[in-house]
This record gives sequence, structure tokens and C-alpha cells, in this order.
Amino acid sequence: MTKIEAIIQTSRFESVRDALKEAGIEGMTVTEVRGHGRQKGHTEVYRGREYSVDLLPKTKVELVVADRLVETAVEAILKSARTGKIGDGKIFITKIDEAIRIRNEERGENAL
Amino acid sequence: MTNAPPLDSLRAACAAGREALRGEFQARGDALATLAARTALADRTLASLAASLFPSAPPQVARYCLVALGGYGRSALFPCSDLDVLLLCADARAAEAVSAPGAALVRALWDLGWRAAVTSRLLEECDRFEQENPEFTISLLDSRYVAGDAALAAALRQKILPALAARERTALVRSLEEMTRERHEKHGNTLFHLEPNLKDAPGGLRDFDVACWATAVRELSRQRAWTAPESGWGGMLGESAGAAYRFIAAARVFLHFHNGRDDNRLTYDLQEEAAASGIGNAGSRPERVDEWMRSYFRHARAIVRLEKRSLDEAGTRHSLYTAFEEWRARLSNSDFSVHHNRVFCQRPAALADPAFLLSLYEFVARHGIEPAVDTEASVERVLGSGAYAAGWPGEPAAAGASLRGILVRPGAGVALRAMHRVGLLDAVLPEFRAVDSLVIRDLYHRYTVDEHTLLAIEALHWLRNAAFEPDRRFAEILAEVEQPDLLYLSLLLHDVGKGMAGEDHVGASVEAAGRACARLGLTAYERDLVLFLIRNHLEMSMTLQRRDIFDPDAIRVFSELVAVPERLKMLCLLTYADIRSVNPEALTPWKAEMLWQLYAAAANHLARSVDGARITGSAASDRELIEVVRGSSALAALAKPLAAFLDGFPRRYLKLHASEEIALHFELAHRLEERLVAGETQAAEAQLRERRGQYEVTVVARDRPRLFAGLTGALSAWGMNILKADAFSNRSGLVLDTFVFADLYNTLTLNPEERGRLLGDMEDVAAGRHGPDAAPHPRRALHGPRARSRSAVATQIGVDNGCSATSTVLELVARDRPGLLHRISELLADSGCNIEAALIDTQGEKAIDVFYLTRRGKKLEDGEAAALRENLLHGLEQP
Repeated sequence: MTKIEAIIQTSRFESVRDALKEAGIEGMTVTEVRGHGRQKGHTEVYRGREYSVDLLPKTKVELVVADRLVETAVEAILKSARTGKIGDGKIFITKIDEAIRIRNEERGENAL
Repeated sequence: MTNAPPLDSLRAACAAGREALRGEFQARGDALATLAARTALADRTLASLAASLFPSAPPQVARYCLVALGGYGRSALFPCSDLDVLLLCADARAAEAVSAPGAALVRALWDLGWRAAVTSRLLEECDRFEQENPEFTISLLDSRYVAGDAALAAALRQKILPALAARERTALVRSLEEMTRERHEKHGNTLFHLEPNLKDAPGGLRDFDVACWATAVRELSRQRAWTAPESGWGGMLGESAGAAYRFIAAARVFLHFHNGRDDNRLTYDLQEEAAASGIGNAGSRPERVDEWMRSYFRHARAIVRLEKRSLDEAGTRHSLYTAFEEWRARLSNSDFSVHHNRVFCQRPAALADPAFLLSLYEFVARHGIEPAVDTEASVERVLGSGAYAAGWPGEPAAAGASLRGILVRPGAGVALRAMHRVGLLDAVLPEFRAVDSLVIRDLYHRYTVDEHTLLAIEALHWLRNAAFEPDRRFAEILAEVEQPDLLYLSLLLHDVGKGMAGEDHVGASVEAAGRACARLGLTAYERDLVLFLIRNHLEMSMTLQRRDIFDPDAIRVFSELVAVPERLKMLCLLTYADIRSVNPEALTPWKAEMLWQLYAAAANHLARSVDGARITGSAASDRELIEVVRGSSALAALAKPLAAFLDGFPRRYLKLHASEEIALHFELAHRLEERLVAGETQAAEAQLRERRGQYEVTVVARDRPRLFAGLTGALSAWGMNILKADAFSNRSGLVLDTFVFADLYNTLTLNPEERGRLLGDMEDVAAGRHGPDAAPHPRRALHGPRARSRSAVATQIGVDNGCSATSTVLELVARDRPGLLHRISELLADSGCNIEAALIDTQGEKAIDVFYLTRRGKKLEDGEAAALRENLLHGLEQP
């Protein structure tokens, strides 16, 4: 099993969700996050007051999938989240040792 | 002497009895019958056990009895509720005699499957109010004889408790209030939960019990006699609360049977099942789950109302002296008095007058104090009298003005809820009836639509006292809104379409709001603003979620939609309140930050794009706008001159001003043209009007150097503080300047004849009739209220040569003070700059000005712009 963590533009979230659904992946955890990578943010002035936008709002999508679905999921995210501009986000992939469904204690891929 | 109880036969009887209860409820759905039947089963069991376990000594030796308490005492024993029993003894000797049998009774009850709690007390102990255990004394109010010495139970019921209630009335009612407050607090002080607890949540059965107890205490202390609580309620409220009790009790019986334990949480899934089984409905009629939940919330609301009223009545002690004292209270006036933190009407008969009726709620909104029970009863009598059957009997526009007055008061939420409770809000605004208790059934919308709406209005009022910095930013925007009443009215109507047929709730809300605005007497400009806000109330949320708000194109598209800063401010606040009141977690700091950034980006875009889009007679969209203005002006025949007048103004001009105002500006321009054609070389037209406590002067003149500086100087000379201004010019060189100013010294207010003189000065300056030396000399108003301010606002000046194709945009923020704008415009004129457009605003102590500048018809060079910035910084430092 593999965990895929994608930090994406909030405006692309609906496309990403639809693309994953189309690829047969429906379970996910979504979080409102803020941060920056190479896109460092900027400073805005409103009515004479400076406010720095150094941590940009993003959406984090986390999903754990069977290993055979990893490439499909990554492909779906890449295609649907990309605008070609700085700030499109990143994908992180990690191996998962075990998954347990709390309700009935099913384990492994059956619990996904 | 005691005998072993026949446990086997009792066990079989109990099991059979429970099965019968379940079958009977499934067949008939009669919750009250189920409660009574389980109570009877418990009574039989208890009597049988008592007969076996307790000593058969003569009563004079061991006087004791078993008394049912709590729900069991009320004969309302739910399928999985505990059995509360009092073992009441006449004296210590009796208590000793029944001690061991009492313990055996508890064991036997548990063996038989009853979750029983048996409390032992002497009769004299029941005559004390236990401060540390008020629940016990309150539970005695439900006491009912089951077995043993009936005379002992009668002594408790007929002698001890009436005397105790009379003596301890205040403490008992306070305990009830305190226990209720704590319980409600545990449930977030709202009856609106996605999965409500049918017993303990506000509007649950415990609140109904509290109403019964409060009524019992009141009646016992008044009459020293027991009466049925319902007889003390009477009227519609008693009926609706009775129906509410039956409905919610049925749902709780259903839950107990379903869960097999005393679990009172009506879960999301079980709501579906209960609705499909028609639980609580006449004839167990199945219903759609959203409609069934709508019934639940209506019933819960009726119970909360009954509970509040019962506590109020039980706690209030009328005396002529107190009433007289309160009459003198600070908040009271000749129409309304405040007594025990409730509003009383001094002339109930006058409530028949619709205007007076609404003035009661204006008073409530001003002070945030609930109407008293008696006052509400009087209002209900008026509303039920038939005069309101065919609609609002008073002048609708006057009702509109009152409603707008209520909406802007700090206690608007209290007043609107009180109006909604008695049906007055529906009478003034029938459109709101469609969303009464309307459920949006998903896990996101926690509240019914009416509750969401009222919470949204309260969220904006709450902003005024917000301490948290992110909220303060929105509070500052709210303080700048010119007509907050229209914002609140838009919130009140923004979701009414959800209760109407069709999929497009926004469209339905707009249609309904259009009817309401026409009826309530809004002007065309006000109506357009309200409808714009309602039509676009989801736009900012959508833009946040579906667009990249750091993409200039996305900001441009959104800014073009709102077009003017005032609309942007109102839409932003409406969005803030709308999201915040969906559920307590909906407006995350993340979302609030996104909303703020979108607002700031759009506000900056609007300030920096004034001259980007100008009206041209050739564009179809402009022709359409011009037609709208022409259609609403008295100058319909003058299509060509009107188009020529507007040609070259920023497009925003058409949205900044109502059609009537544009028509008026055109009249001024038309008169000026006639004078110029007639040969006057130095002519100008000006007009002054009072507007919401401030003054507004509009000047139309031919453009010439130092015109703006001259006009601001004239106003300064009169001691006027300019709060807002805009300056535009059209393609033929006609300048239209509008100044909103505060009359710091009340010159115009106290001397109306001075208004003509001020206008004359403005016209003289605009027409160039004053030479440079004869122009009014600006007053160095260092002694005005603002001049004394110690607030530190650093002067900041930004120059942008990129955002406009034809002008250099200069943004300036400085501490506001009389004469500031004149000083700035003089410095600009001294630098040889021409003001193509200006947007002047103040926010508290801060002046925020944007100028579109050219020199010799072109943008400033980068070096010139930098030098101008330095000049201004230096010039504004001078006293």
C-alpha cells in the first residue's frame, strides 16, 4: 500500500477529485493548508497597510491506495492539477505498513 | 416478617410486558400509551416486590411508603429509562426497620432487568431544600404514591411540598434556571444539531419537564394546590408544546426500542428510518426525512419557548412598588418599560397600531432585551385578531423603514427572533415564511434556513466587538459601509428562495426580494443594490474555491462583476456572514484569510483601474446602460446630449450613482452648456444636498488648471471636512466633481441661509471668477475635532506607472485632518499635474486618496513620478 499526498492549488481541487473518481479512487482526506515551496509569496498593500502573503493557501489531498493503483492515481493528479504556472504544488509518495478498518478490524488492502 | 419474592414469575411477567410494549408501539405508534403502560408494569412489579420484602408489622410501628419520582413519577417511563424510587419513612425507627428490605428491593429490581435507583428519606428531610442537591427536591415535584402507607405519601404531597414550594420558590426557580443553563451550554446553546439529543438538547424533553416543574412551583406557591401544568399554559403555546411533546416523545421511544438502551441521540441514519416509519405523525404517515426534521425543529422551538415562558412566569414577582421602581429605570420610556430584564408595553391596547407594534421591536433591538411574556401574549392577540389575515394592515413603506431600523440595531438578532417567534416577521416579510424551520439535509448545513439567516445577521453585529485581528479586518470594512441596513436586508432575504419551488434558489430569492423591496418602499438604487447582493451572494465563495485568487485575470473578472468598491465591501461582508453561519466550523481561519485576500486584491484592482474602462457611445453594453438611465430620468427626449455627457466617463460612474443622480448631474451639465452657448465665459453649476447626516456638493464645470485644488480650498475655507470625493471628466473636457463632507462647526445646520453662500463660492471657484488672490483662504482648522486626535498614521505614498494606460496612479494614505485634501491638490497643481480622476475616502482617522495624474497630457516619466512623491511627502510634513 502507498500513501499519496498531493499539495495542490485550491482552485484545482474539484478537477483532481473528479479525475481520481474517474480512475476508480474515491476515498481521500482533504485539508485546508498554507505553505510555500519555491513560490515564496509576496507583499500586498491595502489602504496603506502592508500585509505579507508569505504562506499561500493550498489544499492537501491524502489517499492511500493499493500499489498497483499508484501510477494511475499520480497520473490523474498530475493531469488535473497542472496549470503550468509556479505554485501548482507537489506530490509526495510513501509506503504504508498496515491499514486497519476500525469498525470491523479488517486489515491490509481490504481496509482501504 | 418478610417473604422471598416470586422472582421467576415476575421476570416472566416483565419480559412479556416489555415485548407487548414494543409490539403495541410498532402497531399503533402511540408513545404516550407506551409510557403509561411501562409505568403500570413498573408499578405492578414494585407493589409485588414490596408486598414480599417489607415487614408486615402494623403501620403505626413501621410507617413507610414507596413513591415514584422523576419520569416514573410523571407516568412517563420511556422504554430504557431508569426507575427512580423514594423509600419514604415516617421516622428513624421506620427507616431502620425498612433498611434491609430496601436493599433487597434494589437487588430484586436489577435482577428483573430494571435499572433502578432507590433513595431513602425521612418525611421531615423532604421538607428541606437541599442546596447541594437541588435535583432531589425538584424530583419530588413528580412524586406519585406506589405502595405502602398512602397517608405518608399524601402528607408529602399535600402538606410538605406546597409549603416548601411557597417558601423556596426563588431558590427552586433559580436552580431550574441554572441547571437549564448548564445543560444548554453543554449542547452549544442551540437546538440546531445535525444529530440532536432528544432528551437534553435545547428543545428536548428535559426542557418540557423544566416547564412543568416551573409551572408547578408557581401554582403551588400561589394556590398551595396541585394543578395540571397544561391548565396553567393554555392557549396556542400550550397546545403547540403539547403536540411537540407527543412528537419528540414518540421519537425517543423509537430510539429506545431501536438502540436497546437509554441512548437519546437522533443519529443521521435513524432520522431516515424514523421519517419512513412516520414516527410521531398522525396515523404513522411516512414522510420525507427533510420534512420530518422540519417538524422536529418546529416542535423543539415550541418547547424552548414554553420553557422560557414558564421560567419567566415562575420567577417574576409582581409588586406595585417594584413595577414603579422599574418604570423609572434608565431604559424605560413612556411606551415601554424594562422590568426583570424584560420589555413590557405600557399601553398594550396601542399595539393594535402596526407602527406602534414595530416600535416595540425597535426598542427591543436597540437594547437587546427580550419582550416579556405578557407583552408577547398581547402581540399574539393582535396578530391573531384577524386584522392581519389579509396581509400587513399598515403602510408597507413605513414597515420597511421600521424593519431597516431594527436590522441595524445591535440587538437585531434578539428582536428578529422575537418577531419570528410570534409570527410578526412573517407578517412584515411574508417571503420569509418559506424558510421557516426549513432543513437543508446534509452534513454541512447545521442550521435550518431561518436560523442560518438570523445567525448571519448576528455574525455581522458581533463583528463590531470582535477582538481577534482577522475578524477586525472585516469589522473595519463594516464600519465603512454607507447603508448597512441594505446589507442586513440582503442577508435577511438571501436564502428565501430555498423554500420556494425550483432548483435555482438564488433566482427565486432574487425574485422574492424584488417583490419585498417594491413593497417596502426602497428606491430603485437601493433595490438594485439589494438584488445585486442576493444574485451574487455565492460569487465570492465560488471564486475562492474555484479560481486562483493570485491570478490577475481571475481578480479582474471578479472585480468587473462587482464594479464599485461599495458593492465589493457589502458582498465581502455578506459572504463572511453567510459562511460563518453555516456551521460553527465553516469559516476556518484559512477560508477567512482567502476571503480577505480576494477582497483586498479586488479593492486594489478597482482603485487602480478607474480609467481603464470608459464609456463610449459605440459599445453596445454602454448604449444599454445609457438607455436605463434615460428611461428613468425626466429627460427621456434628450438621448443624444445624454450620450455626449456620459461619453468618456469611467464606466464605474454609471454604477456609483443611481439613475436619478445621473439625471441630476446631466441637468447641471445641460444648464451649464446653455449658459456657455449664451455667451457666458465663466460659468459653472453646483448643487448641495443633505444625505444621511452629511452634505454632498456636486460641481459641473469646464476643466481648467487648479480646478480641484480650488474646490477643495473653498470647502476648507468654510471649515468643512471632506470625507469622500470623486472627480471625473468626460471626453469634451467637462468635469464632474462630487464631495461628501462633514460640517464640523454646524455652520450649514444652524444657518440654512449659508448653504446658498457656500454654493455661490463653489460656483465662483469652479467658473474661475476668483483670481488666485481672491479665492477663499483655507481655514487652518487646527482646533477642529480631528485636529486634536493623537492617532499616529504615517503618511505613505505609492506611485504606479503600470496599472493605467494613460495616467500615473498615485495612492496616498495619511492622517485625516481638515484641509488635507486641499493641501494635496495644491501640491499636485504646483507640480504641474492634471487630475484626470480622483477617488477620495476616509476610514476613521485615515485618509485614503487615489489620483489619476497626467502632465502635459501624458503619464509622468519615472523620474518625474519619484520627484512628485518626494515633493508630496515633504509638503505634507509642513504644518
